[in-house]
Amino acid sequence: MSNPLVERRVAPHPEITIPQSLPVAPLRGFARRAALALLVLGLAGSGCVRVYQPMSGLHRPKVIDVRAANFQDLHLTIRCVPGGLLSRHEASMLCQKVTTLFQNQGALVHTIDNSGQVDADETPEEDPEAPPRTDLSLELRARKVHESHHPLSWIASAVTFTVLPGLSETTFAQDVEIRDGTGFLLVSDSMEGRIVRKVGAGPWFGNKILDLVARDKDEKLGIGSAYRELSRDLYQQLSQHTFNAKMQWEVLQEAELRAAPRAPE
Amino acid sequence: MTPLLVVWAGLPFLNDPSPGVLRSKRAARNLDCERYSAQTGSERYPGAIRPARARGDYVERDAVMCAERLMRPGLREARDEAILTELEPLSRDIVTKAVSLRTDLADRTWLVETYYPSGEVSSKISFATKNALMGQGLAVSDRVPVLGVGDVGVITRMDPDEAYPTACLRYAATGTLREGDALLAVVSRDARETILHGGLCVDGRWTWIP
Repeated sequence: MSNPLVERRVAPHPEITIPQSLPVAPLRGFARRAALALLVLGLAGSGCVRVYQPMSGLHRPKVIDVRAANFQDLHLTIRCVPGGLLSRHEASMLCQKVTTLFQNQGALVHTIDNSGQVDADETPEEDPEAPPRTDLSLELRARKVHESHHPLSWIASAVTFTVLPGLSETTFAQDVEIRDGTGFLLVSDSMEGRIVRKVGAGPWFGNKILDLVARDKDEKLGIGSAYRELSRDLYQQLSQHTFNAKMQWEVLQEAELRAAPRAPE
Repeated sequence: MTPLLVVWAGLPFLNDPSPGVLRSKRAARNLDCERYSAQTGSERYPGAIRPARARGDYVERDAVMCAERLMRPGLREARDEAILTELEPLSRDIVTKAVSLRTDLADRTWLVETYYPSGEVSSKISFATKNALMGQGLAVSDRVPVLGVGDVGVITRMDPDEAYPTACLRYAATGTLREGDALLAVVSRDARETILHGGLCVDGRWTWIP
């Protein structure tokens, strides 16, 4: 006679959970697939396509080649004013980049930070306390003109599981003023552009596919392209404006020189 | 409800002038745009933008209005394009400064001479400048002062700082610029600039307009 306890222990049948595991396996698979789908959808839904559109001034035709020595030995003072769209740190970063832009074109650049301190790339020899010589001064400001989030597009985006994009946009203005050393205003301009954010799986996948299949290299809307293009436009326009100001300043100097001998008359 | 929402949400997507599925970057860069509130936009473009309701709208409405440039990008030289795009304000600015600088020349006959490399663009600049002078109520002549071949040969080899005053002097000396005339010269001094400069030649004396 067999020991029922031993038999129960040895017999595998009651311990085997095959009947229970059969319905669980598809459930787990479904949950895994659903989680994966949600994750992909979530990731794609958080996918954001940023598009830059120049509105006025930023895409004006320009002639100047920013790689050439257009400002050889010109004493240029740059000031990036914080406020509006620029925090102190961003203003400082912008000034650094613009400084490099003009140094590459041969200018002797001084930057003025918000405290009024001068950071010069050359040390005045005669008097270290004296303000650096300035032929032209460039002042930069950035401000937000408009911001909107198109609530209906976000509702539709949610309803369509982000196949349609949720739209947000910011219109900004970059104000430029260039004066000569005496403060005479040579150039003043306000350049406007907008950054449109299209959020969702639809625009993200759509753009990825179009970038891969249909668009030329210059037409791609990939990551970072919006800010790269904005920077390129801004730097080219700043160079063009400054060159125009330099030419205007030279004419002004000649006019003053020609007017000077008339004074004793 | 859902299809309606889709249409509502799709409308800004379809009309948006920014680059995307329906518009290339190149096409978007050929537009000059301006943003308007519903109120300002309806005043500027009546019929195209509906004004705000008397009790306000449910959502904030605004519009980006764009105008396509006349010439497609790359058709003209960048410098010509830049000058011609801003020609009216550029010429008006030069004329306003010239007239303000020399109020004593109001009774004179004004001549215009343009120094620009392209002949076609030069004639457009001259026309715009004459138009601006006439807008100031001044007498304008189509006569163009002419220099002899020898003068031109010498002057074209000179530095711009000297060339224009010398040309002015020669205009007066040869009598091509008469006593009752005032010459307004519109000059492009450098191939890299996208602005124009003005100079006045009166009685053989040259003055740059600052």
